[in-house]
Amino acid sequence: MLIQQILLKILYTFQQERTVSAAFHLLKGKRSGQTIHDVGLYNLYPFFGLLPKLTRQKFDEQIDLLFAKNAILIEENGYYSITEYGKQLAAQSLPISFDSWHYRGNEHLFFSRVSLIVQSLSHQLHQKNTFIPIERNEQIQQWVRQFLLRHQYQKQLLQQALHSEISVSLSMLTIEEKIKDLIIYRLSGYNEPGFTWQQLAFGYEMHEMDVQLLYISGLHAWLNELSHKSAQYPLLHDIMQNIRVEVLLTSSANATAKLYKVGRTIEEISQIRRLKINTIEDHIVEMAMNETNFSIEPFITIEEQQQVLAAVEDYGTKRLKTLKEILPHLSYFQLRLTLAKGAITT
Amino acid sequence: MNLQGALKQYFGYDTFRSGQEEIIGNILKGKDVVAILPTGMGKSLCYQLPGYLFQKPVLIVSPLLSLMQDQVDQLKQRGEKRVVALNSFLTMEQKKYALHFLQEYRFIFVSPEMLLQPQVKARIQEMELSLIVADEAHCISQWGFDFRPDYLRIGEVLPESNRPPILALSATATDSVLRDIKSYLNMDEPFQYMHTVNRENIHLVKKAFMNREEKIEWIIEHVKNTAGPGIIYTQSRAKAEAISLQLIQQNVAAAAYHAGKETQDRQFIQQQFLAGKLEWIVATNAFGMGIHKENVRQVIHETMPATLSNYMQEIGRAGRDGNSAVAFLLYCDGDEQFAKFIATEDLPKEVHIDRFMQTVAAGEHPESLYTKGELSEVVFRVLSYWLARESAEKVKSRMLDLQLKKFEEVELVLNLISHQECMRRQVVRYFGQELLEQQENCCTNCGIELSNLVQKRDASKTTVKMTNWQQRLDKLLARNL
Repeated sequence: MLIQQILLKILYTFQQERTVSAAFHLLKGKRSGQTIHDVGLYNLYPFFGLLPKLTRQKFDEQIDLLFAKNAILIEENGYYSITEYGKQLAAQSLPISFDSWHYRGNEHLFFSRVSLIVQSLSHQLHQKNTFIPIERNEQIQQWVRQFLLRHQYQKQLLQQALHSEISVSLSMLTIEEKIKDLIIYRLSGYNEPGFTWQQLAFGYEMHEMDVQLLYISGLHAWLNELSHKSAQYPLLHDIMQNIRVEVLLTSSANATAKLYKVGRTIEEISQIRRLKINTIEDHIVEMAMNETNFSIEPFITIEEQQQVLAAVEDYGTKRLKTLKEILPHLSYFQLRLTLAKGAITT
Repeated sequence: MNLQGALKQYFGYDTFRSGQEEIIGNILKGKDVVAILPTGMGKSLCYQLPGYLFQKPVLIVSPLLSLMQDQVDQLKQRGEKRVVALNSFLTMEQKKYALHFLQEYRFIFVSPEMLLQPQVKARIQEMELSLIVADEAHCISQWGFDFRPDYLRIGEVLPESNRPPILALSATATDSVLRDIKSYLNMDEPFQYMHTVNRENIHLVKKAFMNREEKIEWIIEHVKNTAGPGIIYTQSRAKAEAISLQLIQQNVAAAAYHAGKETQDRQFIQQQFLAGKLEWIVATNAFGMGIHKENVRQVIHETMPATLSNYMQEIGRAGRDGNSAVAFLLYCDGDEQFAKFIATEDLPKEVHIDRFMQTVAAGEHPESLYTKGELSEVVFRVLSYWLARESAEKVKSRMLDLQLKKFEEVELVLNLISHQECMRRQVVRYFGQELLEQQENCCTNCGIELSNLVQKRDASKTTVKMTNWQQRLDKLLARNL
């Protein structure tokens, strides 16, 4: 199953230096310093927030399955190790790719808008002015209403224009055709209800969860196409308003960043914002990860940075505890900063 | 006011269905009304039409969220914009907006929980309403199948004098339930309309099996060979999934339908079923609501429901078009134990009451038991209500009574299987009515010939075919296809 393959890849990438819970937080897209730090450190951008609605129960089921298949061993403290068999599986490349870092579940909002717009236009095509909206969320309904008005749906030309944009943009994608099928089969129209996950899974002989993952990967690919060539797809680009995450910092880190950029020290920021020094340090690490031009030299010299990177290389670990033992003169904050920066530049 | 004219003007119908005209007539005269109408017999028109004749808002208290949403959708689909649903799905902002403009709506739907919130309660009490509707009124009764203490308390919100008429609506109500409804709502000599519960066009069949596996085998064979559309009721989500999958593998267009499905998938299933693209829905019996389809020809109960009310409500989804339909009740040894377990699962047990009292004695708020997951939401609700009013001992014996009552209800369903008396007569008696005449092909106990009632299935017609995305996109958005 795809989900297990993804999970195994994440666990493998963590080099057994995290608990299985870290993988859960990563998939959920937890906005905490530690998780965001892990994303940068281990270069797990594609998976951050891939499944915002994942329940712990479902996650644990999959972990148990990996254990049952003898791909991983679970230790009592929540850590794990990967078996030789598990390593082989993890080394296989995934048949699909994700860009969760830039969408974080917003792809579903995008699709809800597309669904309701298509449903409305399809009914208009058959002179039906009233129907039960496929999307219950009133904010989305309101948004779609504004969209239709803005693009003068009364002229009845939107159908043709949107059809052509969807058709052209999907054709451009190099993903498997069946993924495009899945996306379009989730849409509804007049006398054309959408297909349930169960039906799609049966039709394509896959697990329901795998079908959903293919669908998400398809949406990511589609959204990337739309955002790269926005001029070619004016309607779809309008529909993806506020979908792509461009501000990559957490909002709290953003507030810290503003103060830092006007020259405040960590101690001052901590006082102004009434937050612990540790928290402010988390924010600085987050900035180091996300901003290519961010200099960490105010906190750690170039020589010291080289020491850290050399230790990572020599001992084959990114585990902070081990690095601290090797380089006791450096603080955890300095170690994390270097790792965060290192992950970006390599 | 000419009611017929209003019906035509606002709804486009030429004639009322039975009961509607008397019910509406009495409401317009300012009388309280209790109306027992089977699902699908136009219950909601009884308050919707007055909504257009009065100049003030109609308040509809509705305890079941899915049904509330359903009513709202239907009104909106008819083009009514002045409708709002006050329930826990609203964000703070939406709620504030709705409360501010409350007087402007024609139809205000509210859940009992929301109605009791101080700010909502105060707002409603200062408003002038034209009619108060208690929908699914059997839930008010402590004997009702879905015991909701918050609903018991709606009497607290209603003004004592000078109030608008109250309309209590229900699909099913026994005598004791009717008494409860009238007393909890402080109704004033209400006009009472009871539709006959008997549905002549639904033929009742029972079938006993050696074990569960045999039941499933029978279902698969039966569904493969006879014509739908149909609904299969079962007790668990897992079973609904498993049965639907087996049917799909046999090339039957089937889908599982339960509360664990995404909202979107549930809508797809409903629409497919309505559009005739699905032959069978396999639903948990906690979740058959909101399926409005006129031509359901078969209902199969994979296992027995917990009450005759539930049984009637569920088989009542068949044959709304007036044509013949068949309801199959399957049974194997031990089903009644399972039904009893399900029926009393949510009831507070002695140990819950003790824990609740301990917590209160320790000076803690009992809500912590619910947030920590020690008590279910229902148990917490029920205990908070009763323990505020009665001693622990009394509540314990009350709950024991309730449990026995629920066991008795299950026994009554079991009687359909074990007794030889006409099944229809048994059900109708449960609702305090009499069967006036014996009908042809009535039920298994009276003797029944199915060959004319169940049609052969035409397997070529219904399978849903997938093509590719371009073709589907054309179907959705292209003109002249």
